[in-house]
Amino acid sequence: MAVTVKEMDGAELERLIETGAKVLADFYSKTCGPCKMLGFVLGDVAKEVDGVEIIKVCFEENPEAVKAHGVEGYPTMILFEGGAEKARLKGLQQKPLIVSTIAG
Amino acid sequence: MADYDVAIVGCGPAGMTAAIYAARANMKVLLLDKLAPGGQIVNTFEIGNYPGMEKVGGADLAISMFEHTQKLGVAFDYATVEEILDEGEEKILSCKEGQRISCRAVILATGTRPRMLGVPHELDFAGSGISWCAVCDGANYRDRDVLVLGGGNSAVEESLYLAELARRLTVVTLFDLTADPSACDKLRALPNVDVHEFYDIKEFLPGEHFTGLRAVSTKTGEELVVHADGAFEYIGLQPTTEPFGSLGILNDHGYIQADREMKTACPGIFAAGDAIEKGLRQIVTAESDGAIAAESAARYVRALTR
Repeated sequence: MAVTVKEMDGAELERLIETGAKVLADFYSKTCGPCKMLGFVLGDVAKEVDGVEIIKVCFEENPEAVKAHGVEGYPTMILFEGGAEKARLKGLQQKPLIVSTIAG
Repeated sequence: MADYDVAIVGCGPAGMTAAIYAARANMKVLLLDKLAPGGQIVNTFEIGNYPGMEKVGGADLAISMFEHTQKLGVAFDYATVEEILDEGEEKILSCKEGQRISCRAVILATGTRPRMLGVPHELDFAGSGISWCAVCDGANYRDRDVLVLGGGNSAVEESLYLAELARRLTVVTLFDLTADPSACDKLRALPNVDVHEFYDIKEFLPGEHFTGLRAVSTKTGEELVVHADGAFEYIGLQPTTEPFGSLGILNDHGYIQADREMKTACPGIFAAGDAIEKGLRQIVTAESDGAIAAESAARYVRALTR
């Protein structure tokens, strides 16, 4: 089991969500240390999960996506499935919680 | 037979340094953290006083330290230690996630966390209006109005950072500004900054979204209501040592009491880093503590097995 963490812009993320796929979107800021550490943790998460797209979205470069999804702090992870938000995790989180959130 | 020679609770600079030294002393080492590697340094955008590195990102340094521990074969697990049972030559760590870990020696390196005000509606807005990390969430407040709560070094340094982004920045503090005087002067001189000293914050204004706070002057009793789009709290730190209260190793403020060899009053339990009672809390002092704690723990374990 393993997936690849990819970087997308807001428009690409919306198109992916609309397909109904399970998507974990990580909204991050370039200046944010916890965001960088979460990126490291997500690299580990990606080795353990399957059937999910893990997508990083840069806050500074995608203000429309940030507004559309009501992201207020960084990092924020939103799990989408069937085109809708299923779960939201605010701040740096431990790997087991992220894995169990993806598993539902 | 214990699972590990040394279990280290907390994966910040003190814990990771202890892990490196203990592993190099041929100990079987387990490193635990409830969240992720790094501790408080992850929240520091740039570190400018780490010898040999003129500037280094806090998260970058943490990742580099963690990778060092992994190259030395240190086991790592995500666990929130809730209790330590001292059974003489064996210590049992009981974790919220369900693990029950046995070891010969424990190094406590759980660090500190930001202190909260504890006023009404603070929890309603934590993470969505109230933040403890300007470099994380500051960009969200570009050309908006923000509050900084506190008057110490962190509050003033972060205010200087936020004032470059915000339309208006208001500092509210229970005492006066106690940071480095030149930094305080620089902050007071900024045209978009207001400073309200000697105000006791009573509550954040209730509502669906963050709108501001209400405070009362400790000198005149005058009420102050400040409207803003968000707030950053910098009112100090508190040690993350609650699970260790029953061991009898904490001082009145919750910090761990450790001697020069990082031994606590409990044989086999050592401590290092920001969670211990000491004067200077820096990355390099945490690392020094960690190295000494690991050396002491290794000596203790060897004496048990002799």
